[in-house]
Amino acid sequence: MENCGCITCDAATKELYEKAKNEGIETVWDRARAMQPQCGFGEMGLCCTNCGMGPCRIVKVSKDGPQAGICGATEDTIVARNFARSVAAGAAAHSDHGRDIALALYHVDDKARIKDEEKLFKLADEWGITVEGKDTVQVAKEVAEKALGEFGKVFGNLLFLKRAPEKRIKLWEETGVASEAIDKEIVRVLHSTHMGCDADYRNIIRQAIRAAMTDGWGGSMIGTELSDILFGTPMPKKVEANLGVLKKEYVNIVVHGHEPTLSEAIVVAARDPELVELAKKQGAEGINVAGMCCTGNEIAMRHGIPMAGNFFQQELAIMTGAVEAMIVDVQCIMPSLATITKCYHTKLITTSPKAKIPGATHIEFDEQKSFEIAKRIVKEAVMNFKNRKGEVHIPDEKSEGRIGYSLEAIIKTLDRVTNTHAHPSGTVKPLVDAIKSGVLRGAVAIVGCNNHKQPHDSCHVTLAKELLKRDILVVTTGCGAHACVKAGLMSDDARKYCGKGLATVCELLDIPPVLHMGSCVDISRILVLLSEVAKYIGGDISDLPVAAAAPEWMSEKAQAIGLYAVASGVYVLLGVAPAVTGSENVATYLTKDIESVFGGRFEIESDPVKAAEKIAAHIENKRKRLGI
Amino acid sequence: MTLFDIIFTGSKQALEAAKAAVDSAIEKKGSDAKVAFPETAYSLPTIYAATGKKIGNLGELRDVLSIVESLIVPEQNLEKALNAGLATALSAEIIEACKYAVEEKPYSEPCAGFISDAVIRSLGVPLVTGDIPGVAVVIGEAPSVEEAAKIIKNYQNKGLLVCLVGKIIDQAIEGKVKVGLELRVVPLGYDVTSVIHVVTVAIRAALIFGAVPPGNLEELLKYTRERVPAFVNALGPLSELVVSAGAGAIALGFPVITDQDVQEVPHFLITQKDYDKIVPTSLEARGIKIKITEVPIPVGFAAAFEGERVRKED
Ligand code: SF4
Ligand code: SF4
Repeated sequence: MENCGCITCDAATKELYEKAKNEGIETVWDRARAMQPQCGFGEMGLCCTNCGMGPCRIVKVSKDGPQAGICGATEDTIVARNFARSVAAGAAAHSDHGRDIALALYHVDDKARIKDEEKLFKLADEWGITVEGKDTVQVAKEVAEKALGEFGKVFGNLLFLKRAPEKRIKLWEETGVASEAIDKEIVRVLHSTHMGCDADYRNIIRQAIRAAMTDGWGGSMIGTELSDILFGTPMPKKVEANLGVLKKEYVNIVVHGHEPTLSEAIVVAARDPELVELAKKQGAEGINVAGMCCTGNEIAMRHGIPMAGNFFQQELAIMTGAVEAMIVDVQCIMPSLATITKCYHTKLITTSPKAKIPGATHIEFDEQKSFEIAKRIVKEAVMNFKNRKGEVHIPDEKSEGRIGYSLEAIIKTLDRVTNTHAHPSGTVKPLVDAIKSGVLRGAVAIVGCNNHKQPHDSCHVTLAKELLKRDILVVTTGCGAHACVKAGLMSDDARKYCGKGLATVCELLDIPPVLHMGSCVDISRILVLLSEVAKYIGGDISDLPVAAAAPEWMSEKAQAIGLYAVASGVYVLLGVAPAVTGSENVATYLTKDIESVFGGRFEIESDPVKAAEKIAAHIENKRKRLGI
Repeated sequence: MTLFDIIFTGSKQALEAAKAAVDSAIEKKGSDAKVAFPETAYSLPTIYAATGKKIGNLGELRDVLSIVESLIVPEQNLEKALNAGLATALSAEIIEACKYAVEEKPYSEPCAGFISDAVIRSLGVPLVTGDIPGVAVVIGEAPSVEEAAKIIKNYQNKGLLVCLVGKIIDQAIEGKVKVGLELRVVPLGYDVTSVIHVVTVAIRAALIFGAVPPGNLEELLKYTRERVPAFVNALGPLSELVVSAGAGAIALGFPVITDQDVQEVPHFLITQKDYDKIVPTSLEARGIKIKITEVPIPVGFAAAFEGERVRKED
């Protein structure tokens, strides 16, 4: 796909971007332009600042420049170290998120706050916690304790690794990537990438994998499982998406960030009759909560709260002039929000001690007093309604879709096509049969962020459409999910993009062809689904005709996700090259040789049409090997 | 071999057989010789409904072969597989039409062969209104006469119309199943291709009662899928040809339930090895729910046979 020069394929984004230009307000695209040309050393991963002798850089274009760092680190070492540190940071972000959820569960003192008791007891069982004679709160506490132990336990491997197919577990053990405690693995990356430690790029990447694994099979999985226990396991529901979900006559609250502990409390507080009354007194018709990025995904999946937009729309939301408060916690929150909110009445409210922004109002969130604090925050927003200035400009753009496809929801949906006289229920058999028979060719997870190096949303959407027409089912999370729902790919109407096989499946199951499986930590749901399918066919994840793609990724979290997916046996296509191109060895290892070890590998392809072709070829290849 | 490859192979075999049948018929009768099924205004109904073309003589029939050929594109996806299934149905009709072109009376007792428009008009209304709750097409051979009789009688007791193709016909007779249109058990023929005679019942129902315009394949398939409550029981070893004919049934929206090991397709292709469960499995697969308590087999059409079709989840 030739880049048409558009910054986005989303109409609401285009509209507000124009408004920003006219008003001279700087956005992410302007800053990206100002940054050009970006530094080649950094882009290739060849710059090292790991010690006071540096910064060092490796010069590739001529033989005369330095070919090693001052300590003697080669390009392979430097590139691998930088990559590993990014992965560790990503794993740290997701894992700390998981830890907070576990803490929230630990502090639950009332059974009523556990929304999925069944899942709690199932997890207790999985973890060998005896439940007899214990009440729900006690079990919750013990499960939370066990989860918290995963972060710092002294001995033993990650508990959730056991969820993988047997062959995979064995492979991890043999290759030395069966991770131990979460924090330990992340610390080890930081240790071994310190000056004068690990210089063997393969060994550095091996440790990076261990850290990445503590994300997917550790922190993220804990985050997802315990969030479901606390707030309910998502089930299919309708949702509206895009900036058009903001309502002119209402107090608009945008929750942005990642952790559902905060957003769940805000959702409840915004329904408080007292606050709604107060909003009416201020001249508003009511309170409208909308979500952004992953926290938006979380409350949309569980409550159908409208999805305001994804990563690149956070600044634009404020520019509608209709947002009374943007409430944020952690991760992917652009510090520029503080600058933009100054031009409007919008209050930027930070809530986490881990993420403060100069210029924002800080109201610290405390899980113990969640409702009280949430009410205080919502009140701030309500009282801010009067302060609106200038025209309100909400783009008339929103789409509808069906979301809420947790693993449990998917299996329940699959039961629709089982024959009660011939088949078991509650298994992945129908999905396996659809794939084995060839009705579905395979499945692909489209995940990840927005990045100015790709036109906004366009790569997510184009890639999804290209896959749908090849009878490839798409599951999605994160900002990719926002892109897909906005583009209408989660509506029944999206069947028109599908090949006959996929369209038939959608009709029989009454599902959209793109399944929203949640936030970025919810990629752990995909890991479990893959494991279930692999176990059902008696194989390994790497045998399956599946792939993952992050066509517009940007965060370190995305790099951690990519690496744990590869280590789990998945072919991972990246639309933006990570900073590893400075080392041919590292680049070749990650995109080629690593496949012979883990069965998964990275592929770099920025053109979404070509990306779809590569993915389809990969899938057909896997089918051939399975003889299906 | 992948499921789709089995279908493509069977469709090609059917096409070859159709070519041979046309060639030999032309050799015997010449290309101007008349081609028609008895007592129908719909020419060769499958070809007519799918293409909008009425076929008058063997020469015109030969031209249809290229259409059939164009439907067989061995690409690995459902669309192409279903098209290949339809190709098999067309080939079957061509082969059967040749029988009628060459012989005066290709079918004789107990086999019915082609079913006349008049019968369809009498069957059609109870069929689309649900008075006949479903059409069971039983192909092949049950493991024993007893199993065959049990399955057929079970359908008969529930008021379904049962069409038999292949050795199951002899098994039915041996098992003392009373056959005949008025008893709603119709032996069609011993060759697999005679299954087309029940397919044309569904197709003519779409043309007559659904007013589906000839040549509008999509609407035809929608009508049969939504309004004709048929399904197939394929018993005994499955040849590639039978599997590709099954794909034709699936294209029409009719699930196939077999006692053989096949790669199952959710909703459409189901393996059921327990013969006692073939009937309930089939009824559920087609969403056929029998409302009344079972009564012993009556003589002729009985008003007591009231059935209702509902979706499984209702
Ligand atoms: S660790 Fe080595 S390459 Fe890095 S800054 Fe220090 S001396 Fe330079
Ligand atoms: S997809 Fe990327 S940008 Fe979006 S919330 Fe997740 S990490 Fe942040």
